[in-house]
Amino acid sequence: MFRLTFKNLWARKWRSLMTAVAVIFGIALVAGTYVLTDTTNQAFDQIFNESLAGTDVVVTAKSEVDQQDGSTPSFSAKVLKDVQGVDGVRQATGGIFSTGAILDSEGDSTGGGFAPQFISSTLPETFDTSTYPEGHLPTGPDEATLDEAAAERAGIEVGDTIQLVGVGKAVPFRLVGLMRLGGSSFGGTSVAQVDLPVAQKLTGKEGQFDQISIAADTGISDEELRDRVAEVVPNDVRVETADENADRNASEIRESLSFLTIALLAFAAIALFVGSFVIFNVFSITVAQRTREFGMLRTLGAGRRQILRSVLIESFLIGLFGSVIGILVGYGLAAGLSALLKAIGAELPANSLVVLPRTIIVSLVIGTGVTMVSSFIPAIRSTRVPPIAALQENIVIGGKNRVVLRTAIAVLLGLIGLVLIGSTLISGTDGGSGAASIGAGAVCVLIAISIFAPKLVVPAASIIGAPIEKLGGLNGRLARENSQRNPARTAITAAALMIGLALVSFVTVFASGLSSSVNKVVDDSLPGEITLQGTGGVLPFPAGAIKAVQQVDGVEAASGVRYVSVKVDGKTAPISSVDPADIVKVYTVEWKEGSNTDLTGLTDDEIVIGDKLADDVGAGVGDTVTLVSQKGQEFDFRVRAVMKTDSIELAGQGIVTQTAMERDFKVQSNAVGLVKLDPGASLESTQSAVETALKEPFPTVDVLNQGELKEQQKSQINGLLAMIYVLLALAVVVSLVGIVVTLILSIFERTRELGMLRAIGMSRRQIKRMVRYEAVITAVIGAVSGLVVGVIFAFLIGIPLSGDGFELSYPVGTLVVILILTALAGVLAAIYPARKAAKLDVLEAVSYE
Amino acid sequence: MESTLAAPSQSASSESPIVKAIGIERVYGEGQAEVRALDGVDVSFEKGRFTSIMGPSGSGKSTLMHILAGLDKPTAGSVEVDGEEITGLGDSDLTELRRDKLGFVFQFFNLLSVLTAEENILLPLSIAKKKPDQEWVDQVIDRVGLTDRRSHRPSELSGGQQQRVAVARALVTRPAVLFADEPTGNLDSKSSEDVLALLRGAVDETGQTVIMVTHEPDAAAHGDRLIALRDGKLVHDAPPVSADNVIELLKTLG
Ligand SMILES: Nc1ncnc2c1ncn2[C@@H]1O[C@H](COP(=O)(O)OP(=O)(O)OP(=O)(O)O)[C@@H](O)[C@H]1O
Ligand SMILES: [Mg+2]
Repeated sequence: MFRLTFKNLWARKWRSLMTAVAVIFGIALVAGTYVLTDTTNQAFDQIFNESLAGTDVVVTAKSEVDQQDGSTPSFSAKVLKDVQGVDGVRQATGGIFSTGAILDSEGDSTGGGFAPQFISSTLPETFDTSTYPEGHLPTGPDEATLDEAAAERAGIEVGDTIQLVGVGKAVPFRLVGLMRLGGSSFGGTSVAQVDLPVAQKLTGKEGQFDQISIAADTGISDEELRDRVAEVVPNDVRVETADENADRNASEIRESLSFLTIALLAFAAIALFVGSFVIFNVFSITVAQRTREFGMLRTLGAGRRQILRSVLIESFLIGLFGSVIGILVGYGLAAGLSALLKAIGAELPANSLVVLPRTIIVSLVIGTGVTMVSSFIPAIRSTRVPPIAALQENIVIGGKNRVVLRTAIAVLLGLIGLVLIGSTLISGTDGGSGAASIGAGAVCVLIAISIFAPKLVVPAASIIGAPIEKLGGLNGRLARENSQRNPARTAITAAALMIGLALVSFVTVFASGLSSSVNKVVDDSLPGEITLQGTGGVLPFPAGAIKAVQQVDGVEAASGVRYVSVKVDGKTAPISSVDPADIVKVYTVEWKEGSNTDLTGLTDDEIVIGDKLADDVGAGVGDTVTLVSQKGQEFDFRVRAVMKTDSIELAGQGIVTQTAMERDFKVQSNAVGLVKLDPGASLESTQSAVETALKEPFPTVDVLNQGELKEQQKSQINGLLAMIYVLLALAVVVSLVGIVVTLILSIFERTRELGMLRAIGMSRRQIKRMVRYEAVITAVIGAVSGLVVGVIFAFLIGIPLSGDGFELSYPVGTLVVILILTALAGVLAAIYPARKAAKLDVLEAVSYE
Repeated sequence: MESTLAAPSQSASSESPIVKAIGIERVYGEGQAEVRALDGVDVSFEKGRFTSIMGPSGSGKSTLMHILAGLDKPTAGSVEVDGEEITGLGDSDLTELRRDKLGFVFQFFNLLSVLTAEENILLPLSIAKKKPDQEWVDQVIDRVGLTDRRSHRPSELSGGQQQRVAVARALVTRPAVLFADEPTGNLDSKSSEDVLALLRGAVDETGQTVIMVTHEPDAAAHGDRLIALRDGKLVHDAPPVSADNVIELLKTLG
């Protein structure tokens, strides 16, 4: 039996190979994701460890509340004195390491896209693990060094001028050296070094440190020294050994990357789910075609278990093969993915690719598991073949068609799916478990639809086939008939495509909803004409920029908006601060309880809170709410009014004054600036006047009018959408492979029929056309049902969100384009099968066995 | 009525033959495994005649028919159909030849299961994108006795009815030659008789040329001429006298 299995596999090697493709894509993404994230994590481990090579103990500020921009607080420089007094401390130094902007002499950014840039203080020799391949460390207040890779990317050389922007105006420095950190690459990150006092001034941290590095006397362990230091420092800082610090930093990176990992694995799961349909189909068809053979084996005395085993071993081997290839492809994909991330400006640090045993084991188990599970039902069906089948011409196995049972299962699954999705949406569970239960729900619903699908295929093919029959005459007619001949087969093939397209149309509709919701906020909430942003919408920009803009002719009002995340009643909430005098002119608040005068008259001890937060913490006007800062300090604010939280939380979940923001939460930079022009002032000339006013001192500020703002938001959403499309394309390609295999197998079954058609005068071209039409019919059934399902999902998920101001919009044009592209993809999928059908030897086809 | 039937050709032995094969050889394999399926066959077929080809299994009957119909190429020799040399033609010319000049009836798998009887009959016209001559179509369907079965699917027809549909399909284009490879091989004697009578009728009434491969002496006796092959060689060529006579002949062939 075992030999027979191998022979069978070999005899059907093309089919087996195509079946393996169904898992190769998904497994490639699984393996690729692991390789990519493991590689990145390891690179970060190395960076952190190398940078702390000369350090034994590290002091940093505690962070009670995670900030959206990932920033950490600084702490008083006075701590250094206490630390230096500790017995066993050989040397200790304070340092600064903060985000900032590194510009060339023209004021243009040196980094690309989202890659972070840092301003760092220089370290004494003991702690400095960098090497300087060119030049030297800064020796004065107007000198700086830059990391080698960043300099190379930006084409800057030693002796050139660079500008650094922290919390104030851009400051020029002379580049006196290039820095290299050990053997690691920083990825897209750039670091500029200046002397400590300069760094403190640039980043607005005079009298503050981000970190104290400590070297121990010989004979004292890191742990011992850590404990001694911990005794003398205030409780808003944390003391760690260098190893602990490196581990913590690395695990924080790991955590922030885990989102990427989960997202990529989710797409892998989708591709595998689609692949399982393809595998199911191929095995079903193969089992049906081998009915006589199974019957013959049974007459020779083979038991049901033997038949079952032989089919399952086949699927095991195919799965194993697919997984191994998948791992290899995934390795290549990891390189590709990091190139993709690099292209969008999110280059990850990487040395050589890391393949952990976990990557291989998980990929093999999932790949073979998915293949075997998908082939299980066809395998069971093969055991139902009676010995008599060997003697009969056309036997249909499976006998009993358990319609009621099937329908019951489909309905049950559908309901479970809907309940899962619904309850998750209503309860508002977010993060991994929320996504998982929505995913599980969607899987249930999709399987339920697939069970019903064979019923729908016949009418669907008639409708979709109608224009094709008009167009293609006989070939169209035959194609339509062929697609209806075996509804289950067509249904599964189309269902695989449906899944991919449901997701494509879902994200398309959702993204367009996001865009239009953003537009709505811009239209409804921002009466000003101009918006200021840090370069690329990422970095905050100096507060001084607002003052500068307020001086410009034609500007009536301008307010900066700063953000900080705080804890209220244990929950994390983003809070904004504004300039009360001007804010109502540039930001339209919808009031729940209160009016614009509550905002203009806001004092430094008052807060306007959003209704969401008000509900969450049960606070109303006149109550006092306690905000816990990142450093863990508590500040009381009196609730002055309650506003409606806008859908993109432009004003966060609460508004305080700029003074309060700076005093209590130490935020000195604006994330956004809102500007209103004098009535009658020309937008064009005022915008360029604002640009001119900012260009010199504040080169990191982008000036956008409303149209540009909408465009920028839209292009950000579309950028993300494009990434998702690329990942969903994997699943779509797998389902197209499904069309290819199913067509080839069907053509193989219809050899004689095709031969007869050729014998009585059908040309190769006509045969090809017929196969193409059949593919198009299947593809369009999949596409249309996918679009319908996707739009319905988007609609359903949009319902609970509409309360937050999210409004769906239906990009009909895009959806039609997707439909046409899918039909074309069907034509593409038919190329090989059509050629195979046309090449068929007429003589062989009509020769009797 | 009969005069309205457009005969594909006038039966006249003086005319040049509709199919002419000279020195046909067909060799499969090489060296040790070499099989000479046809070993120098010269044969011509006149218009309006019904020829039966017989011979023991493996004697080369099907091979000869395939070569005559342009479905296979001879290793040596040449074939002319309706005055046109076909041995050198490419696939598209051969397809056109089959479409426009030839008709086929096979033993099995003759019909498209997804089409009705009438649609199957009209299939060659649809393929050629020709408008059917409704009067002729009705006549053909009437002749094969399927007027009340027009809209049935093959699965709803008996084996004999299916084969009659196949004959009608082959006749509907008024081909220069109708090839049939064991058309009755799969049928009971009553159905066989129906099909053979149809072929005979087409020859007599419309001057159709028919070339039929068969194993059955009864079937062969319906023809005007009987050809026999043995080991790839033509060993007999004469009008059949009776079925018994044919059986005798087969015995001598071994
Ligand atoms: N594709 C092929 N490859 C090799 N040999 C072949 C091939 N087709 C036919 N032959 C051989 O050519 C010879 C003639 O075959 P053919 O099919 O013409 O015989 P036949 O007279 O039609 O037999 P039957 O009455 O059994 O149908 C046989 O010996 C056969 O084995
Ligand atoms: Mg034969």
